[in-house]
This record gives sequence, structure tokens and C-alpha cells, in this order.
Amino acid sequence: MPLGLLIQLSWRNIWRHGRRNAILLSAIAVAVAGVVLLNTLLRGMQAEMQNTVIDSLNGHVKVLKPGYRADPGIQRGFEIAQGWDAALPAEAIAGWAARVRVPAVIMSERETRGIQLVGIDPAHEDISFLGRVSFTGEALSGPEDRRVIIGGELAEQLETAVGRRLVLVTQGADGRNREAGYRIAGIFEAEAGGLEKAFVFTGADTLQDMLDTLVVTEVSIRLADDVFETSIIDRLLGVFSGLDVLSWKELEPQAASMVAFADNAIFIYFLVIMGALVFGLVNTLVTAVMERVRELGMLRALGMRPRSVVAQVVMESSLIMFVGVAVGVVIAAGAFSLMADGIDLSAFNESLATFGMRPTFVPVLRVDDVILVVAMSLLLGIVASFYPARRAVQQKPLDALRR
Amino acid sequence: MTPRTSKHVAFAMSAFGLLLAAVEIAAQDAGPCGDATPEERAEAQTLIEGALDLTRGATSYTEMVMIIHRPEWQRRLELVAWTRGREDALIRFTAPAKDAGTATLKKGERMWTFTPKINRVIWLPSSMMSQSWAGSDFSYNDLSRTDQYLRHYEFCIADTADENGRTVYTLELVPHDDAPVVWGKETMVMRDDHVMLSQTFFDQSMKPLKEMRTVEIGELGGRTIAVAMRMAETEVADSWTEVRYLNADFNAEVDDRMFTTFALRGEQ
Repeated sequence: MPLGLLIQLSWRNIWRHGRRNAILLSAIAVAVAGVVLLNTLLRGMQAEMQNTVIDSLNGHVKVLKPGYRADPGIQRGFEIAQGWDAALPAEAIAGWAARVRVPAVIMSERETRGIQLVGIDPAHEDISFLGRVSFTGEALSGPEDRRVIIGGELAEQLETAVGRRLVLVTQGADGRNREAGYRIAGIFEAEAGGLEKAFVFTGADTLQDMLDTLVVTEVSIRLADDVFETSIIDRLLGVFSGLDVLSWKELEPQAASMVAFADNAIFIYFLVIMGALVFGLVNTLVTAVMERVRELGMLRALGMRPRSVVAQVVMESSLIMFVGVAVGVVIAAGAFSLMADGIDLSAFNESLATFGMRPTFVPVLRVDDVILVVAMSLLLGIVASFYPARRAVQQKPLDALRR
Repeated sequence: MTPRTSKHVAFAMSAFGLLLAAVEIAAQDAGPCGDATPEERAEAQTLIEGALDLTRGATSYTEMVMIIHRPEWQRRLELVAWTRGREDALIRFTAPAKDAGTATLKKGERMWTFTPKINRVIWLPSSMMSQSWAGSDFSYNDLSRTDQYLRHYEFCIADTADENGRTVYTLELVPHDDAPVVWGKETMVMRDDHVMLSQTFFDQSMKPLKEMRTVEIGELGGRTIAVAMRMAETEVADSWTEVRYLNADFNAEVDDRMFTTFALRGEQ
């Protein structure tokens, strides 16, 4: 039987129950749009989580002395050679920062807190959250700045202000205690609140002087793109022999597993939503087939092959699915363009901060996700139509005509 | 981290910046200490050292009670203390039974505590020094102070007055910018016989935060000293700690072994 005729038959059958099929079609469209949009949210969340981890002084890749993570301290530092970064391909690197990071205690007149004291070169910190924070007061002027910057929440806890002095206590390279007063240059507001309580920054040279050392404890590298990760790690292992070179996934395994989970969640959402929809599709098709028992019997009696009957039903289902998916994708694209600038979640700021997320949420639309949803939906449509199609050919033409 | 030359240039610039900042600060609070001459500074130092020596001597043995007062409760503790010079001290609680044996050893600016209940000697890291000692209004820092801490301050005599035929000095101590001192400034009011009348700790907005006030002056161990002192935080109502000397023997025989972590543990 010619294909054109089959399509024509299917098309007419669809229009015989226009309203019923329109409802089914809109259900498919809404479900597909929903799944596509949910994917953009998930991808956005994934990107956000990864970005937050990378921003939180990790970078894509970090160089550390073995053992530093278990027992951080200036004793586990290393020297970096001038111009070491010449060995890295410039197009793969967004930036790097060498830091001196030690656990320390910070004291004001009223409170004492444990923090991470980080010596930085502010010029290099555009690769971390520090590059984007807003300051009350001033930022550090350079690696030799003998002042500190602290987070807003810590300032509140310590009941202190810009220009006041804080006392910092930490352990020097010789294992003996160092304590000294430092003036507050500025107070920063980070988007994720946890950072404000965790870190206190001063100039890298200042901290090295305080600790009597020339070493740094970490080098963070931010890549231009994720794809360079393995090749850069290989290069870094060559430059920093004997040191650990760790990706952000190894540094923050918990966040990394959440990011990896988002990949699977996309499938789970698809199966839940589309799986429910399939029953609606099957139901409608079965009804359509049962209504046409006599008609199908007649067609068969006139010589239509069972194969062609199956093909006709599958065609019907595929046509509905195809149009539904197309409409769904258009709806999703429209809705996405409305959200593309970001969704303002500042009303839930505090609970988001717990997860280290920023108040503005930017969904990410990935073409391969859309293709996946479309392909899987069409496949599902075909698979789901086989049962009704089988019902259609199961009855003998004679029985069907006699009904 | 940066090329050597640029670091030097940057350093020179920041040094200039610091200089400007220093000029600014001096102009801001042209307090009495801003223009103190070396002689005035030396005079203030002599007074402070005299006050420290007054209750210590070469060696000393004292018995004290400490009353910790809070709005809901009050505790009375008894303690004994041995000192040697300006640097070393051992303080041991003798009553009530619950606290008896708990002791604190100070050598220079380093301190250890011993708690019989856990049978451990613990060295106090400087991060703990600002915490309360034995639940009182005194911090370990208040106990551990020696004349060494004067190096962190600019000090001078801010005021002198005559009271009952005695000169009463008001000293002002302003910590250096990089000093490990959280206070904005401290003041001491002291008689010319080195009896401290009060000592006040200010926050950096120059609001008084903590004050130790002498509540009784008397004769003890052949010296005129502040017999009872009361420490209180100004922002907390109805809470104070009073220390009162019961007995004092300045220049007592004190064994050198007294100032070891071994002796800290108590009876042999």
C-alpha cells in the first residue's frame, strides 16, 4: 500500500475526532514544554553550582601541597617560580591566583572567631568571587597592602566597622604563634553568605611577612572552558612536580556529585512526565481503534494487509506526537526567552545561600537537551502506539464486520 | 609574587601612604599622647611598672577570695597565688571543693591551666587568651599581662590631680596600629604611691567596655595596696567580679619549682 495513502488515511482519522485529538495534542505540548523548561532550570542550577564552587577560591584546577587539605597550614606551602605560567597555553586560561591561606583566629573588642586568613594579590582575584563583590570602604590595593578585608556577616558578628582594628592570631612557618593588629580596609558583600563568614583577606606579601615565609599554599587556575581541564592538569603536573593538582570536582566532591546528579535528573523528569502522558496517548488510540473495528474489518476484507493497518495507527500516533512536540518546543522557546535574563529569587535569599546559590537564577538552554527530549518523545509515541495497533489487527475481518 | 622592582616601587608607594595615614590619624585624635615627650613617656612607664611591682615584689604569696556576681546567682571562690618577679605566677583555687585544685600557671605571656577533673595540663593558645578565666569577668589576657605588653602601646600621663594630699595620675595607653590589642585605648587612674584606682578598657569608638575599679584600699603585708578590686563590663548590668586580698606576704620564700607545669598539677 502506498505510503501517501496511509498518511492521508491517518490524517483524516485524526480530524474525525478533532477536539479529542486537540486535547491530547495540547497535553503533549504542555508536557514537552514543561520538560524542556525544567531542563533549562536544571542546567542553570548545575552551571550555578559549578560556578559557585569555582568562584569560592577553588578555580577549575588548584595546585596544593600533598597533605594540605587534611592539615592546612603554612608548613604545607611551596614556592612558585617567576613566570611559571608561561608553560600554559594562554587561550585555555581565564586567569590564575597564587594565595597564602592559613587557619587563623580573628578578634575584635567583643568577639572572637575562627576563620581562613587568605593572603592575595588583588590584581589576580578577578577569577574568584572577590572580583565581583561590592565593598563598603575600599578593596585591597595590592599584595603589600597591610590591611584586611572581611565579609559583612563577620563584621556584624565581630561588631566592627571599616577603619577599625582587628587582631589576627595564626601560626608562623616556625610553628610559633603570630599575632598582630590589622585595620579593616573594606567590608565585602558576597552573593553567597557563607563566604562572608569564612574568609578574611589581606595582601599576600603582608601575610608572608607575618608568617616569615616566601611560600604560597595554593595556586588556583580558572580555565576559559571546561574542555581544557584534563590537558591543563597534565601540564600543571609537569610544572609543579611533587604537588597535588586537583580539579574542582576533587576539591568539592559533594558539589560535584550534585552537579553530576543533574545530568541524571533530566532523564528522571522526562520519564515521570512523559511516562504519565503515554497512558493518555495509548488510551486515546485504543478508543479510536475500538470505534473503527467495523471500518478496519472492511478495509482488511477489501485486501488491506495487517502490516498496513499497524502502520496507519502508528502513523496516527506519530503525527499527533510530532505536532504536539513541535508546539511544545515553540512554547518552551517562548517561555525561555522571557526568563533568559535570569529569575529573581531574592525572596528566598537565605535558604538559597545555604546551598551557596546566588539570588538571581539564570536558566541555561542546551540544544542537545532539546534534541534529546524531541527524539525521546517521538520514539515514545511510536512505541506507545504498538499496543493499540496490535488490537486493531487482532480481530478477524469476519468477526469485525459481523459486529 | 610580583617582579622584584615593581614590588619595591609599590612598597615605597604604600609606605608613603602609611605616612599620610599616620599624619591623618595623629591629626584626628590629637589626644594627650600624640605629643608626649620621651620624658613624659618614661614617667608614665615608671608609674605603670611601679603599680605592677606593688602587688608582686621579687616574690609573693597571697590568699584571695573571688566573688563572681551575676543577676541570678553569685559564687565565692578562694584561691592562693605565688608570684616571682614580673613574669611568673601560679594561681590555685582552694575552695569550694568543686573547684579546688584547678590552677593556672603563667610564665611570661604564656599560660597553662590544670583541671583535676580531667587531669590534664592545657597550654592556652593565644586565641583563647581573650576568654573568661574561671567564669569570671577577667580574661586570661588580664592575668597574663606583664610590663612586656607596654611595647604595644603609646602611653602618657593625660591628667594629674590632687586628692587628699596625694597626686592622682590618669594614664592613657593607646595601642600601636599593628599591636595585637583589640582595645581602642586604655586608661589607668593611679595614686602617686602606685595604688591603682581604676583601669578602663575602651572599644575603638572610644566607648568604655570594661572597667576595673578599686573598692577598698588597705594595709596588707606591710604595704598599702588596693585590697579589693571589682571588674565589670559596662554594657552588662549587675554583673561583676570582685577580688579581695585576705593575706599577703611580699618577699615570701617561693621555691623555683613552683613555676613549672609539674607544680601546676598540685600536690607533688
